[in-house]
Amino acid sequence: MMKKINFAVLNFPGSNCERDCFHVLTKILKQKCKYIWHDSSSISGVDCIVVPGGFSYGDYLRTGSIASQSKIAKKLKQFSLNGGSIIGICNGFQILTELKLLPGTLLRNKSLRFICKDVNLKVNNDSRFSNLYENNEIIKIPIAHAEGNFYADKITINKMKKNNQIIFSYSDSNGDLNSNINPNGSILNIAGITNKSKNVIGMMPHPERASEKIFGNTDGLKLFKSVINFYSN
Amino acid sequence: MPSYKINLNIMPIPSVLDPQGEAIENSLKNSSNPSASGFRVGKKITFTVRASNKRKCKEIVKDLCQKLLVNEVIEEYSFEIYDEKN
Repeated sequence: MMKKINFAVLNFPGSNCERDCFHVLTKILKQKCKYIWHDSSSISGVDCIVVPGGFSYGDYLRTGSIASQSKIAKKLKQFSLNGGSIIGICNGFQILTELKLLPGTLLRNKSLRFICKDVNLKVNNDSRFSNLYENNEIIKIPIAHAEGNFYADKITINKMKKNNQIIFSYSDSNGDLNSNINPNGSILNIAGITNKSKNVIGMMPHPERASEKIFGNTDGLKLFKSVINFYSN
Repeated sequence: MPSYKINLNIMPIPSVLDPQGEAIENSLKNSSNPSASGFRVGKKITFTVRASNKRKCKEIVKDLCQKLLVNEVIEEYSFEIYDEKN
């Protein structure tokens, strides 16, 4: 019997993956979950917040930038400082970098194209979001974005490497991180990272779209299960 | 209190790849006119600020840039301030 923890899924005007996340958490994993609207200023009784994908505020100015000014975003900072878990997926990742809860930023894909396809990821299992994967396990999860090209300056990248913050990297099926399989131009094939204290993760791939047998792929499910596992120990 | 017109110019910093600029440059190569190069695409934002003087206005603009208008991880900016009546 899996432990039940309290999830919340944030909802901004233009979010479009919030129901998928909610479905996986409540129907597949039987967890407690609520939606939090962007102009709410209260996060209470929540262990883990999911900032879902989509096009918050129409991607105006820069992806995620307007959402980072919302009432709930300010509360998110406090939630993170208190050690709460935050998962930012796709546009959620972009919002978390704009909020400076995660380092770096997401640029336009090198190809300038919106890319929607399954990709292989190499997993670093040293985080509360990946502890149920094998270290260096290769998993398949879909991406769907136009701005997923991770960029940070060299000093920041070195700090992230030293602190073991790179959790998911675009890889071939043998675990090789070569530039040919890099879908968007990300530095070091980065697909997902944590903050320094490792309670916040941002990732471009969509684990909620690979969490049900009916889709033929459940590789993403272990990400959510890892968080539940983290709170069970 | 005086009003000032602001012209804010935002550009990607030199170390950031600008695929839009590259795409423009590549497409112009096909037009048999190779005289222009080094294209970079940025954006311009105009707005109005009410402030007691120009120095105060400058402070407000800088604050807005840092808070929202510019992402200094990848962008740099410059701005001009004009008296509103001009």
